[in-house]
Amino acid sequence: MVSGAGGLANGSDTHSDTHLDTWATPSEGGQSEVLVRATGMRKHFDGVEVLHGVDLELRSGQVHALLGENGAGKSTIINLLSGRLRPDGGQIEVYGAPVEFRNPLAARRAGISVIAQELELVPTLSIVENVFLGVEPTRHWLIRWADARRTVVTVLEELGVNAKPDQIVGSMSIADQQLVEIAKAIVGQFRVLIMDEPTSALNLSDTQRLFKIVRRLRATGVAILYVSHRLWEVFDLADRITVLRDGQRILSTGIAEIDVDGVIRAMLGSKSSLMGMAARPSRATVPAAPTAPPALALDAVQSGEVLHDISLSVHAGQVIGLAGVLGSGRTELVEAIYGLRRIDAGTVRLNGKAVELREPKEALRHGAFLLPEDRKLEGIFGHFDVRENVILSFDPSAKKVRKSSESGGSETATLQRRRSGLTPIHLQTERKAFETMRKALGIRCSRPEDRITALSGGNQQKALFARAALSHPNVLLLSEPTRGVDVGAKEEIYSAIDRFAEQGIAVLVSSSELSELLRLSAHIYVLRAGRIVAQVSAEGTSEGDILKLMAG
Amino acid sequence: MAMPGAIKRMLAAESAAALLALIAVFVIFSAINERFLSTLNIDGIVVSASISAITGLGMTLIIAMRGLDLSVGSIMGFAAIAAAELLSHGVPLWLVIVSGLAVGVGLGLCNGLLIILLRLPSFVATLATLSMILGGELLITHGETVTIHSALFSRIVISNIGGCVPAAAVIAILVFVLIWLIFHRTPFGRHVVAIGGDIRAAVGAGINIRRVTVGAFILVGVCAALSGLMTGAELQNADSTIGAGAELTAIAVVVVGGTSLVGGRGNLFGTVCASLLLASIQAGLNVANVSSLYEDLVFGSILIVALMVDGLRRGTRRRGMLVV
Repeated sequence: MVSGAGGLANGSDTHSDTHLDTWATPSEGGQSEVLVRATGMRKHFDGVEVLHGVDLELRSGQVHALLGENGAGKSTIINLLSGRLRPDGGQIEVYGAPVEFRNPLAARRAGISVIAQELELVPTLSIVENVFLGVEPTRHWLIRWADARRTVVTVLEELGVNAKPDQIVGSMSIADQQLVEIAKAIVGQFRVLIMDEPTSALNLSDTQRLFKIVRRLRATGVAILYVSHRLWEVFDLADRITVLRDGQRILSTGIAEIDVDGVIRAMLGSKSSLMGMAARPSRATVPAAPTAPPALALDAVQSGEVLHDISLSVHAGQVIGLAGVLGSGRTELVEAIYGLRRIDAGTVRLNGKAVELREPKEALRHGAFLLPEDRKLEGIFGHFDVRENVILSFDPSAKKVRKSSESGGSETATLQRRRSGLTPIHLQTERKAFETMRKALGIRCSRPEDRITALSGGNQQKALFARAALSHPNVLLLSEPTRGVDVGAKEEIYSAIDRFAEQGIAVLVSSSELSELLRLSAHIYVLRAGRIVAQVSAEGTSEGDILKLMAG
Repeated sequence: MAMPGAIKRMLAAESAAALLALIAVFVIFSAINERFLSTLNIDGIVVSASISAITGLGMTLIIAMRGLDLSVGSIMGFAAIAAAELLSHGVPLWLVIVSGLAVGVGLGLCNGLLIILLRLPSFVATLATLSMILGGELLITHGETVTIHSALFSRIVISNIGGCVPAAAVIAILVFVLIWLIFHRTPFGRHVVAIGGDIRAAVGAGINIRRVTVGAFILVGVCAALSGLMTGAELQNADSTIGAGAELTAIAVVVVGGTSLVGGRGNLFGTVCASLLLASIQAGLNVANVSSLYEDLVFGSILIVALMVDGLRRGTRRRGMLVV
């Protein structure tokens, strides 16, 4: 491994120097050395215990996968091991010595590095500044940038990142930014690497590149805790699997001793029956009369350099998929339809009417609603509670709240009377609307007044679906609807999308998960380099077929 | 070892705008009235720019940290008054200067502690201290002006070194070099930027947010105190009007210099250019016989242009978005 110039800060307030010496020497061949042992980890929030005494062992040279539904306690475990939270019970040992992490810095000093799902990089700083943030090598108070830069160049080369150390991190792709995080861990000579959903924002080739790097790190004796919702990744990469459910360890076993079904059963427990629905439900084919104009139609749409000659149509009650690798224009197309991107040529028709979409509110007025790809940045209002987030575009004057199980076509007329900013909403009406939605979509929150950020990813996404439902759209645009959402919640979201379609809403789904597209949609448009290269029926098409089309 | 990246960034488009505007202002005003280029006028510009640049440089760090310090003007006044009072009691000059700067340390420390202990947004905390410090000044002076009888004190600021370089400029250059080193070459400086760029990442990297915050406010406090001492030395008296409105000038030179108000970046060279720019415009309007009553209007317009440029630079990538 690369030796960091100055490396990690010397000295630690959590253990003696002898342990630090041990850190410095990677284990030779002995792959079974226990680096971190957590026993009986307990944690409660607001009097509710969410972790009931979980054990976890991380060994050098091992990729240890941690699986479980959202809310199973994965994040809590990560936060305990990285010093972001302090346990209410149990013991963490590093190299056999008990430790107590008072803050993230203490965990870092003990050699534990976390690559969080939301990358912890300063976008306005350069690569070298980020890599050495908090551990800058100094002489006479001044940072030795030359040394730092030399180290970073070596590490970037090793990781296969084609970037200069002075490049500003905010200008890099997510995949490369993630590798900057890994560079941080390498430079700091961390012996334990916790990766939380590292591939959720990566395309296939970036994922493969990441896997190669993870395998190399493993070969150097690093212990890796790998959290992912993608089971195939886990079986590709991991040596050991631990499954959590409801704050308890359900199983912990070598990868050879279990198969995918076993893992899913362990994750879902009694809820495994849900998996029966994972198969595409037989659904009546598009009910729309052929005479009706499509709810959404694009004709030869062009947008800058990213979209060329895009023509597609989605009828009421149809779910249509969009496939394509990162950069194929898949995300950009959805943004263009929602008025977030300039359309230079071609026409967009909503409900048969040609519309000019300069900003989202015009798309909204015409009954289109987007659930954005980046939930945290563009979807939820973090300061608001769950109810406020759900109720945000609710217009009681437009229509009575529709139970999503009840059917009924959506009428454009109601959308014309979107609420003006000053019309007061009755708290009672609002509460009722929220309750209906909470039940219909199965949003799990202890109180409607909970901050939305306290909810798991899946439940946040459901809250956004509830918001969409309350705005009575007739075209629903979805971008990565289940990113960062676990298996169980995924299925609930899928059935919510099915119900939207049953009510006659036209749904356009853009996703990087092909199984998701095949599960949800009737037809799939495949994009490549900003053009639609194929339109396939989901029936009788395999993921492999689509992958081939995407790659060209 | 120099840091080419930082130098490149320093000279990048951000400060270029202020630099170009500065050249344009010189060309225009010297065309209107050649008196603009007189030694006296240029000296005036340089001294006034030096004083606002020093506070501006400190403010650049605060804004890079995504904070604001509204109390800098009152710290200037307090330091000047403290110095004047001490001088009138026969305290030796070196001790007066050290005490004046210590006033900056103390008041900056108060600001920093208020912000981290009460978890107040910096502009709210410093708005409160602005008022309190001003009140303190009035209590000390009883609203009167204290004359400074120290020729040496004044000479330190207004004399010309080697017959052409105002001493104030030398002080400002030293401060610039010092703060540039702190900002770009010390962990503290990078941590300031990290906090402004993404506080979550800064916490994750193990940065002691509280310590850095307090440190930055002490630094800007010292800068403001130094500006205040220099103003007092220049005017040869001190009262509570010293530094009045200086917080707005300080913020203006930072923003016009190309530092974004959203934090995460700081352009020290731009701040210096913008200080010269604003001082030149002020002096230019004067020699062009424009009533000084128009000054504020002109400065306000420049600020709007600078903020617009900042907005364009950050790129309203997505259309139809308004940031309120």
